[in-house]
Amino acid sequence: MRARDNPFATTRIHQIRYRLRGLNWDELLQRLDKMNFRAAIVGPEGSGKTTLLEDLAPRLRERDWAVIPLQLTRESRQFDKAFLSDLLRTLTPRHVMLLDGAEQMGRLRWRWFRWSVRRAGGLIVTSHRSGLLPTLLRCKTDPELLRQILGELVDLKADAVFRRTEELFAVHRGNLRDAFRALYDEWAVRPESALLA
Amino acid sequence: MSALKILLREDRTRFRPGETMDGVAGWQLDQPAKSLELRLFWFTKGKGTEDMQIVQTVRFETPQNDEARRFSLKLPDMPFSFSGQLVSLIWALELVVIPGDLMTRLEIVVSPTGEEILLHSHASA
Repeated sequence: MRARDNPFATTRIHQIRYRLRGLNWDELLQRLDKMNFRAAIVGPEGSGKTTLLEDLAPRLRERDWAVIPLQLTRESRQFDKAFLSDLLRTLTPRHVMLLDGAEQMGRLRWRWFRWSVRRAGGLIVTSHRSGLLPTLLRCKTDPELLRQILGELVDLKADAVFRRTEELFAVHRGNLRDAFRALYDEWAVRPESALLA
Repeated sequence: MSALKILLREDRTRFRPGETMDGVAGWQLDQPAKSLELRLFWFTKGKGTEDMQIVQTVRFETPQNDEARRFSLKLPDMPFSFSGQLVSLIWALELVVIPGDLMTRLEIVVSPTGEEILLHSHASA
């Protein structure tokens, strides 16, 4: 199996967009408005927080917000001082900051950051834990969601493909990103049988 | 509806490093464009972070709404097109309308044999 043909290649996984459940985008944006555009998307790893934040960006731009995407990771837990200093100087009430991985900051650094960006019109973050900002949405996964996405990624008969969904979901504790990575490896060696085993 | 097309001489899509690639970029646009750009680039696809590099660009300025223009690009010596289980390196040409999101892509193979190099014995096309 060539990497380019693997249905679980990163490119294909990145094409999966967030599926809102129980509300639509307009309702989510109304909720954000009521929260004064200061809110957190909360959930465990691989539950779609980053994807939801990415999908929020164009919808905010449509509403004339100037979106500033930011990201912190385990490898890069703080912003470069010069970058942050320049950024803070340019903030206006038209700006909304979308910060992915806010939980990477320590409590003190978070409080300082939150105060520093007070001039921005909005601050929306993702975090594994609640409490950084009022919670906009809790991202959750379930075997049915995994089943739906698998059905879009692989073109096999549903009954056969989805036999392993429950097991995959349990093994990876609901982390869909990890489940797809594992399937990539299995598929590379044994195409199709990865899901049929 | 707008349409974009990249045509290569003799419909070739397999090349050797250093070869010159001749072709025509054609377009039919519903709206006037400022320019179009043809990009020769490679990108990776597979597991993990993806990489890409634009190697050459050709800019078509002041385009008509319905037009075709010739281009000629010399391919670099490397990297070669290859595929393993973890990563594939893919060469492509992309014709992009500026400004806007309209684009078309044509994948090509660049390698000494003219075939994509397969890195492991289990790889199959």
